[in-house]
This record gives sequence, structure tokens and C-alpha cells, in this order.
Amino acid sequence: MTTIDTTKPTPGAETPPVDNYLTHSTGIMSWLGTLDHKRIGVMYLVSILTAFFLGGMFAMLLRLELMFPGEQILSQDQYNMAFTLHGVIMVFLVIIPSVPASLGNFVLPIMLGAKDVAFPRLNLFSYYLWVTGAVLAVSSIFFGGVDTGWTLYVPYSTSGTQMNGILLVTFAVFVLGFSSIFTGINFIVTIHRLRPPGMTWFRMPLFLWAIYATGILQVMATPVIGITVALLAVERLFGIGIFDPALGGDPVLFQHFFWFYSHPAVYIMILPGMGIISELISVHSHKHIFGYKFIAFSSVAIAIFSFIVWGHHMFLSGQSPLMNVVFSAITFSVAIPSAVKVFNWLATLYKGSISFNTPMLYALSFLVLFTISGLTGLHLGTLATDIHLHDTYFVVAHFHYTMMGGALIAMIGGIHHWWPKITGRMYSEFLGRIACGLIFIGFNLTFFTQFMLGSKGMPRRYHDYAGDNWNPTVTELFGKYHFWSSIGSFVMAAGFFLIAFYLLHSLFRGKKAPANPWGGRSLEWQCASPPPHDNFSEPPHVGDPYDFTVLEWDEQEQGYHWRHDLKHEPGEA
Amino acid sequence: MNLLSPMFLLLAQTGGTGGGFWFPESASTVAPEVDFAFDFITGISIFFFVLIVGVMLWFMFKYRRRGHLPSMESPTHNTPLEITWTAIPMILVVLIFYIGLKGYVNITTPPENSYEIEAVGQQWYWSFNYPNGATDINILHVPVGRPVKINLRANDVIHALFIPAFRVKMDAVPGRRTELWFEATREGEFELYCAEYCGTQHSQMVGKVIVYNQFAFEAKIDELANWLDKVPDEDLHKAGVILYNYCSTCHTVDGSPLIGPSFQETHELFKSGGTRKLADGSAVTVNEDYLRSSIRKPSDQIAASAQGVAYPSSMTPNIADQLGTRGVEAMIQMLMRLDELVDAEGKLKKVERADIVVGTEEPQ
Repeated sequence: MTTIDTTKPTPGAETPPVDNYLTHSTGIMSWLGTLDHKRIGVMYLVSILTAFFLGGMFAMLLRLELMFPGEQILSQDQYNMAFTLHGVIMVFLVIIPSVPASLGNFVLPIMLGAKDVAFPRLNLFSYYLWVTGAVLAVSSIFFGGVDTGWTLYVPYSTSGTQMNGILLVTFAVFVLGFSSIFTGINFIVTIHRLRPPGMTWFRMPLFLWAIYATGILQVMATPVIGITVALLAVERLFGIGIFDPALGGDPVLFQHFFWFYSHPAVYIMILPGMGIISELISVHSHKHIFGYKFIAFSSVAIAIFSFIVWGHHMFLSGQSPLMNVVFSAITFSVAIPSAVKVFNWLATLYKGSISFNTPMLYALSFLVLFTISGLTGLHLGTLATDIHLHDTYFVVAHFHYTMMGGALIAMIGGIHHWWPKITGRMYSEFLGRIACGLIFIGFNLTFFTQFMLGSKGMPRRYHDYAGDNWNPTVTELFGKYHFWSSIGSFVMAAGFFLIAFYLLHSLFRGKKAPANPWGGRSLEWQCASPPPHDNFSEPPHVGDPYDFTVLEWDEQEQGYHWRHDLKHEPGEA
Repeated sequence: MNLLSPMFLLLAQTGGTGGGFWFPESASTVAPEVDFAFDFITGISIFFFVLIVGVMLWFMFKYRRRGHLPSMESPTHNTPLEITWTAIPMILVVLIFYIGLKGYVNITTPPENSYEIEAVGQQWYWSFNYPNGATDINILHVPVGRPVKINLRANDVIHALFIPAFRVKMDAVPGRRTELWFEATREGEFELYCAEYCGTQHSQMVGKVIVYNQFAFEAKIDELANWLDKVPDEDLHKAGVILYNYCSTCHTVDGSPLIGPSFQETHELFKSGGTRKLADGSAVTVNEDYLRSSIRKPSDQIAASAQGVAYPSSMTPNIADQLGTRGVEAMIQMLMRLDELVDAEGKLKKVERADIVVGTEEPQ
């Protein structure tokens, strides 16, 4: 299946094996106790992808249950626990840490020409906090389960009977919050302190701007969720009235606290993805990014605006109509920087040399899917239409277009982009493109049908759409959409399994990767693939990270290198 | 908007009341306004989607990679262009916000002369209470052409009342009072849902709105207010079948397990004079007194299931208030005489109010 040329010796076969971060030290403890940001990044990547697999399995259970009217494979309670765990795993274990903790950890210090992040020990600690949080969250299945939805709304979460499960999940969210905060602090300090000579703020790759804006959000917003779940636990354990009206609390207060974190969290999830897309589009069309400063500042603008729009999750919660109007108005302001980014990416393609490598196909998919997610956000930010669409499948479709079509597609694109750098191996381009196509088609079939399902009036978090109280015509109508949505999810799952297959295959049989297979100009493409333990043997050339004119293609190496007619000078522009 | 009108026609055929590509049928005064806002935003969205993806596909074709040559020279920034594509979306979103605001003001401002109905959400049914004392479960009876204001309450957790055909929705929050209003524009039956996740049976917390003309509406709520009094004592157990809507999300009549004990089990225990195990380990004889006290004060005696564990939660504490004194008696009669009310397959025989109420006249 994969294209392996066995007749020709792979490049580097004649030269003696070079030490890299994978071979630098051996043994299981050299990984578990490592302070190397690259190894920590790889451990994060493997762990997060494992969690993604688990969350995806829960999603498949949900789609199987909803494929036909009537109870299929899950009881009502099992369904409610399945969608709760799908949400908890995907939000807290996968998407929030995804790009910064895995790819960010691996790439960020190398992009800065640094040997490591500013606080390597804190980095390892934050990984183990993630592991602790993951174990706690998933173990809730064995202690009665949780059926509150990932939003943990009170009073349902404080009055139900599944006390153990809810305490485990709240504790998990608390611990995962610290993991996120530590990663954020680490990256902020690294970017401030460890930039090499010559790399000014406006010579950083845009991925770093995105990670920087994300770091600010992680550090400033995450403590709020920590406090909120701590209060929730206090209320459950000691019966002190904070949110539960039966004890004199206010359930709407919980929603304010929850969304004050969880709305910025949406941008913790999507901003790094946007950063990846800026890299992919520029590198894979060999074209200087258009509007660098506008893209960089729009990341910061999004980070700031995202703090003051949380109330749009609560238009129907009983908060005052005036607050609804104010929140609706501010919500629209977030649309602008997102639109600016999309236009700048488009302008980058203009007069480029656009390749259709797998990473680029994901970047182009992102442009389509993110545009749909942004535009349908207008329907939900608008007061009159949100009332009808709130808590329906329209919302489910919208945030899957953002979280999955946006954040996760970008991450998968990023994995394909940096895979040669991380593993030193090339994967099958052919299978990569097929998998991307399967995911793109499957994704749209799964979730575009859900827009219609929602505007037709199907509420979310429903185990079934048939029963004594249901109108049979409605059951039949919803059934059609759900059927095709499920079919789409199977196509998408096939795509993901294909990716897992060829990526694992490439580890053992893939061609050796050159240092710079795509023609990237940022510093990580100047060190070997995989990078040596200390990243750079000689100081890298800092310059405009999007000036591709200094590179030329080397047929023998199957990669790009510095033009021979240009002089190598450390620190040159 | 002339430019976009073909797209409107293509994707948003919401002119009539029958719904279209996006919407369910519409039957309230605010629905056309909501649909217009939706179609307007959808029109803008389609325009921008076609523009962005069209340009992308065009560039993908025109500037596809040919060999390993460096890309062509072109500017890397252009401030007037940036300002333009910042300003145009800004103007559009201000317009969209304004349209949404105008619709919202209408949707949230009930007219002075609205007819008021109280809606109470509890796990897992809606009860609707009318000013004349009438009450019904999961079915909302409303007059056509008259503004109706629904005052929402929740007894346990958060619920949300959602009527898609009216394009209205509002949370019912414990400890708070919320409201929604609508004016139905035509007679008929429309879907009604709970839209805020509320636990196990959330997907069965579903009902319907029935819109009547004014006369039929008055007659209906009159019947609902007084019908139990007009049921002769010997038929009271049949009235229980109609009131069973209050109970059906948690109690079956065929012996299969649900949230609470099946009525069949209770009935057989009553017949045989047996005892029921309680969650606290004690046991209680199932007799008429037990039935009455377990409806009036459900949390005092929580039954244990066959496996000996407590059922998940006790019944809504104020269920007796909702049923009324005679309603409670009807339920007790039903539990005691259940064998007369089920058919050979163990299903409840159909009972119509008109069959058991004496001395009612058909509404004109």
C-alpha cells in the first residue's frame, strides 16, 4: 500500500547513525522521567490520541443509538452517561490540551531555536497532572458513572444519586485545570525569555503568537473553573448552599461561573488550531503569509473578547433581557477577528505555489469547515433566532464544526505536517489524502444534517425520538436525518482508522524523512529529522519565518535546503 | 437584497405555514419574524460561503504547484484591503444584531391582556395549570388569536419549555420565575418539548400544544376543571387511567421495571395483602392507607426494587396537590382495581373522559 522504494538505499543509510532525541537514551524510565520537551510532547501526543480514541468510541455508541428510532443499544441512563463522558473526554482531555501540550511542546522551543522550554520540570509535572486527571475522569465509569453532561449544570449535578462519579469528574477537572495553567505559564515565559537574538516579536512564526494568546487564556481563565468545581464539591459534600436553590443557592450563578471559563476555553481550543493553519497554508503554498500583523493581533483580540461574551450561552437561563442584549452585541465582535484571519489565509494562497500534500488538504478542509462554523455562529449570536435554536441539534452541529472541524482538523493537519520531524519517517501521501477525503465527507454528512435536525426542532441530549408521547410524523422526519448523520460518522471513523494504520505503518516501514520535506522556513526545519537531543548543533538562521525564496529543492535528498548561492550566516535576516 | 433573493427561494422556502428546508411549520405571530431573521442571516452566510470557498477553489486551481519553483512575487500586506474586509463584516453584524434585537424585544414582551397559564416542569413531565383550577399533563390547551403568557416554574432541576412551531423557548429554573408568551395564529396540534437536559427520561418529557377556537377552548378548560367531580364514584378507577399521565414516565402497568415500582406489582401486593420492602430495610403492608400515604407523602416510604436497592428518587413531593383530593382517590381506586382496567396483554384499556363523565354537553 505505502510507497516504499526498496531498490534504492534510503538517504542516510551510508552515513553512521546520528544521535537524535529518540536514541539519545533508552529504557522506559528515560521516557517517564524525561525533561526533554520533545519526549514530553510525544508522550502527550500518544496520551491525547488514546483519549481521543476513547471519546470517539463513546461518540460511535451515541450515533448507533440514534441511528434508528426506539432503543437500540443503550438504555436511557447508559446513553446519558455516554454523552457525558464523550463530552468530558473530548473537551477536558483531548481538545483543551491537544495542540499546545503535544505539538506545541514539541515544536515551540525548536521554533525559538531554544534547547527546551523555560521550566522543563514543570512541563513534566503538568503531564503527570494530565494523566492523573484522565485516570480520575475515566474511572468515574466504574464508580456509578456520571450523567450530568459535561456542563455539570446544577441543581441536577448536586441532586442526583451518582455522587461518586460527579465528585471524581469535578476533581478531574480541577486537576486538569492545573495541568493547563502550568503549560500556559511555561509557554508564556519561554516565548518572553528564550527567543534567540534577531527574533523580534514580529519575526515569530504565527503558531507561536497563537500559542502565546492561548497561554494567556489558560492562565487567566482556568482558575475560575477550578474555583467553580471546588464550590460544587463543597456543596455536594457539606450541603452548603451556593448553587442549589433548595439550600438557598442560585443555579444561574453556576452557569455564570461555568461559562466564564468555558467560553474562553473555546478559544483555548481553537486558537492553537488557527496558528497551525497559518503555518500550513504558508508553507505548503511556499508563499509569504499575508497580513502577518493582522493575523497576530487578531489572535490577541480574540483572546481579549472571549472573556466578555460568556453570557450568550445563557440567553434562556432567566438572566435579564438587558444582559442578553449586551452579550449578544459583544458576541458579534468576536466574529470580526475570525473573519479577518480567514480573509488573510485566502490572500496568502493568491499567486502561491499550492501543493496538495496531506497537511495542506487538512488546512483547506479547515477553511471550509471553519467558515461554516463561524457563519452559523451568527444564527446563534442573534437573539431572535437563538431562542428557537438554543439547546437544539443546531448548536450541536455548530460547535462540532468549530471544535472538530476547526480545532481537531487543524491538529490532525499539524500532526501530518510535523510527523516527519517528530518521527523521522514519511507516511504514505496516497493513503493520507484518501483518509482526509473520508473525514471531510463523513464529517459534513454527520454534522450538516444536524443543522437541519436542530432548526426543525430536535432538542439535544435526547436518548430517543420515539415513544408514547411522540408524534409519529416527527419521529419519521428526525429518523431520516439521524440515519444519515450516523452513516456519516461511520465514514469518518473509517478515515480515522486509516490514519492510525498508515501512521503506525510509517514508524516501521516509512521512508526516512529529510530535514525539510515541505520547504518550511521556521527554525524547526533547520534541524535534523528527528531533532538531536539539544535541538541544534549550530545556531540556526533566524529571519523572516515566511521568506521561502532562500530555499531550494534537492532531488537526491527529497527535501529543501538553504540555497547554495546564499551565504550561511547565523542571525541573518 | 435582490442579489440574494434567488438563494432565499432556493434554501428557505418559509413563505407558508408548512415549514420548509430549515423550519418546522409555523403557527405564531412571532414566527415569521424569527424566520425572516434566520433567512436573512442564512442568505448572508451563503453569500460569504460561496465567496470564500469559490475564491479558495479558484486559487487552488490557478496557483496549483507546478514543480519546485518558488512562488510568484506578490505583496505581503495591504492595509486598505485589511481595513475593508474588517469594516464590511462589522457593518453586516451590526445589521444582523439589530434585526435580532428587534425580534427579541417582541418575543420577550408579552402584551398586557395576555391569558396566563402556569407551566411546572418536573422529572419528567409538564403540568399546566389554568386560572380556573383546570390542570393537565403534557398537553397545553390554548386559544387561537389571543396572546398567552406562560409562567414557568421548576420543581426539581432545570427544564426548558420549547414549542418549535411557535419559535419560543424558555428555561424553567428552580427558585426563579421565568416566562414566555406567544399568540397562536391557527388551530391545530403542535409539538412541545423539554429542551434543557433533566435526567433519565428527558427524551420522553414531550407533549403537545392544542390550539382551539375561543369557544372550544373555554369548554375544554371548563371540562378539565370540573370533570372529576362529574365522574360517579363507581367509575372513579377509570378516571385514574386518564390521570395516569402523571405517573407513566416512572411507573408501568405491565410489570416491567422503570424508575419506580410497576403499578401491576403494587396491585398484586394489594390483592394478596402482601408487604413491600422499603429502602430503609423495613417492610409495609400494601393496603389502602399505604397507597394514600405514599401518594401524599412519597418521600416518607421509599420502596426498594426487586434487587433490594432503593429506587433512584422519590416522587414529586407535591403530586397530591397537582392531582387534587378526588384525583388522589381516583389513583387509589385505579391501583386497587387495576385488573379491571387492563386488557389481556396487560395494556391499559382506552378511557375517554366523555365515557365516564355524566351530565356534560358537547361544546357548541
